[in-house]
Amino acid sequence: MIIEDKERKINIIDTTLRNGEQTAGVVFSKHEKIRMAKMLDEIGIPEIEIGTPSIGQSEREIIKEIVASGIRGKLFTYTEAIPDNIKLAAECGIKNIIINISTSDLHIKVKYGQNKTWVLNQLKETIAAAKHYGLDFIISAEDATRTDLEFLLKLLHLAQKKEAYRFRICDTVSRLDPFRTFLLINTILSTVDFPIEVYNHNDFGMATANAMAAVRAGAVSLVTSINGIGEGTGNAALEEIVMALKYLENIELGVTTSRFREIAEYVAKASARAVPVWKAIVGTNVFAHESGIHADGVLKNPINYEVFEPGEVGLTRQIVVGKHSGSHTILHKFKEFGIDLTMNEANDILAMSRSMSVDLKRPLFDKELMYVYKDYKDSHKKTAHLSAE
Amino acid sequence: MRGLDVLTEFSMKAGQKIEPKKIKIDDTTLRDGEQTAGVVFANDEKVHIAKMLDKVGVHQIEAGIPAMGGDEKDAIKAIVALNLNCSILGWNRAVISDIDDSIECGVDAIAISISASDIHIEHKLRKSREWVLDSVKTSVEHAKKHNLYVSVNAEDASRADMEFLLQFARTARDLGADRMRYCDTLGILDPFETFMRVKTIIDIVGIDVEMHTHNDFGMAIANAIAGVKAGATYINTTINGLGERAGNAAFEEFVMALKYLENVDLGIDTRLFRDISEYVAIASGRFIPTWKPIVGANLFVYESEIRASTTLIDPSTFELFGPEDVGLERKLIVGKSSGVHTLTSKLESLGHKIEQSQAAELVEIIRDKALSLKRALFDSEIIDTFNSFKAAGPIYADSKNKGVDK
Repeated sequence: MIIEDKERKINIIDTTLRNGEQTAGVVFSKHEKIRMAKMLDEIGIPEIEIGTPSIGQSEREIIKEIVASGIRGKLFTYTEAIPDNIKLAAECGIKNIIINISTSDLHIKVKYGQNKTWVLNQLKETIAAAKHYGLDFIISAEDATRTDLEFLLKLLHLAQKKEAYRFRICDTVSRLDPFRTFLLINTILSTVDFPIEVYNHNDFGMATANAMAAVRAGAVSLVTSINGIGEGTGNAALEEIVMALKYLENIELGVTTSRFREIAEYVAKASARAVPVWKAIVGTNVFAHESGIHADGVLKNPINYEVFEPGEVGLTRQIVVGKHSGSHTILHKFKEFGIDLTMNEANDILAMSRSMSVDLKRPLFDKELMYVYKDYKDSHKKTAHLSAE
Repeated sequence: MRGLDVLTEFSMKAGQKIEPKKIKIDDTTLRDGEQTAGVVFANDEKVHIAKMLDKVGVHQIEAGIPAMGGDEKDAIKAIVALNLNCSILGWNRAVISDIDDSIECGVDAIAISISASDIHIEHKLRKSREWVLDSVKTSVEHAKKHNLYVSVNAEDASRADMEFLLQFARTARDLGADRMRYCDTLGILDPFETFMRVKTIIDIVGIDVEMHTHNDFGMAIANAIAGVKAGATYINTTINGLGERAGNAAFEEFVMALKYLENVDLGIDTRLFRDISEYVAIASGRFIPTWKPIVGANLFVYESEIRASTTLIDPSTFELFGPEDVGLERKLIVGKSSGVHTLTSKLESLGHKIEQSQAAELVEIIRDKALSLKRALFDSEIIDTFNSFKAAGPIYADSKNKGVDK
């Protein structure tokens, strides 16, 4: 059941342009959407969700333009299971859609004011409409992780019978941890042999871990967004998923990861949401080392504190001098400046730098480090001068 | 490495209930949090953070590194002098003089940290496994002579040879160490491997284990939870997940995940979470992303039609806990993804009534506005748009119809 095959293909369907934009307060312009779609395509993301046609005329215009922009990957639009919406998608020239419907009792009752039979009928009618327009469709079960398993399996059988492209399990309220994710996907796949994809939210910080657990259990596709942007806490971050698959699961997707930082910055600008410096994979601090032990370890050999080279995700390594620095960092830094310090000098300069850093409440810039050195040399000259007298 | 049998065992354990009383939080915001490249707390801030952590109910505070001397020692002494309910722990290398510095600061617990992986032993320490075990021995003996609670930290445990890690744990246990800290220093474990490795240590050596996880691949919380499922009893967290590189397991995320996903309530006062997060954000100079799990300002803000309208009827459709549980507020905003219901409720809350058919027209206008402004609208903008729409109502509808006819 556990697949150790390194050739195993996992699909990525990115939803930055759809659920990413659905984030409260986020709006992408037309140009940004087209650019992001192209970027995703260029780095080798096989499938992209580009929008929701039913939102309105302007959204449909953008979708049409993306469809016409010559992207190699498969493009999808998103719709609730409403038969009339299918026409809107078809008119945009799209060939693939995601048909979403809530499947938990709670959602069926509150969101639709209906029952399970209604859900099944609604889905069947929407599927018929999709088939009428010759569209491929993913069936997306919203709030699947709070859905009665029997009903979920029923829907899976329906998806199979109607030849859906895939079935999407949405952990809409982040109800699962990785172990339960594994159990659920494993149970589903032991009952129905059908391609499953998972859609994770990050409410408890476990989106990436849950996605990995799903892959272990046999899911074949993951829904991601750049920087993890999405409603609420957001979705599984594309860059985390790709790197975790590569380094934790030995599954290499062939994505051009060296452009991750660039793309993360682009989406950050477009969404007006900064990339936190500590953001996993693409944060600028991920390869910044300050503390004596870590910096010293990295200078001896990066393998001590790094799993992959910074260039692999478009970042650079930084050695920062601050409150937690050690004397080896000082020796190294000054060597970079072309100055060879003795150990004694390094220790003295370290003490001065640390107290300066505490005073400033931040690490020192390289320039400031040189000022410290100059002050040190000056005071030293003075002492030497005094003792000579 | 990943056989079917072990995995089956994993999934069997997944449903296992966790014993709530046994799990304790050892927060390291003041140590690993401050060790983050670029972060320096003022001593006053350290003392304040310690007080907040105690108030909210953590069990132990890792207050700093006494061996750094000077200011750092002063801060730790000041925290010890607060006489808080929780235990105060000092971080040390496996070096006698470090431990003496901790003793001087008056802490009741210490962590003795040393690398356990061959990679670190060879490339960082440039020593041998024997040297590592000897260092553990001398330092734990020294600490135990002074009646300190001792945690022996296995740095880079995730890349350590399992046999050696067991030997390491056994050595610590036999010397009377109170627990071993399992450090996933590079954040390279996934929850399944975490479970397997931690469970192996606990089953074979029988020492209390603390989880120290990093978020390099976004797995810090999941790995901490996996550790707990495997029997770990202490979790090393930081507020906002502050910490080296991608940071540590976030205190607020771990506590809530344990409470809402595993049904284990640690008795922490979660209503103070947003306050503490804000304080640490300012002290560390690192903002709270609006989408940050548990405490982000945007978590209970709804804009898209389905989420907004459904949540208004019953919040449990999209929320496992309410905003008041973590010191946040629920809010409705109107933007590109909004629809008739969202707009109608928003206008109503602003004191205006609108017909369904009119709302359908107005929402189109508002969506276009949001698209051209590249953001959701302010309340005052919504009212403005509503007023001019009402004034020009029929004309608007007319021009729109004409547009369609063309």
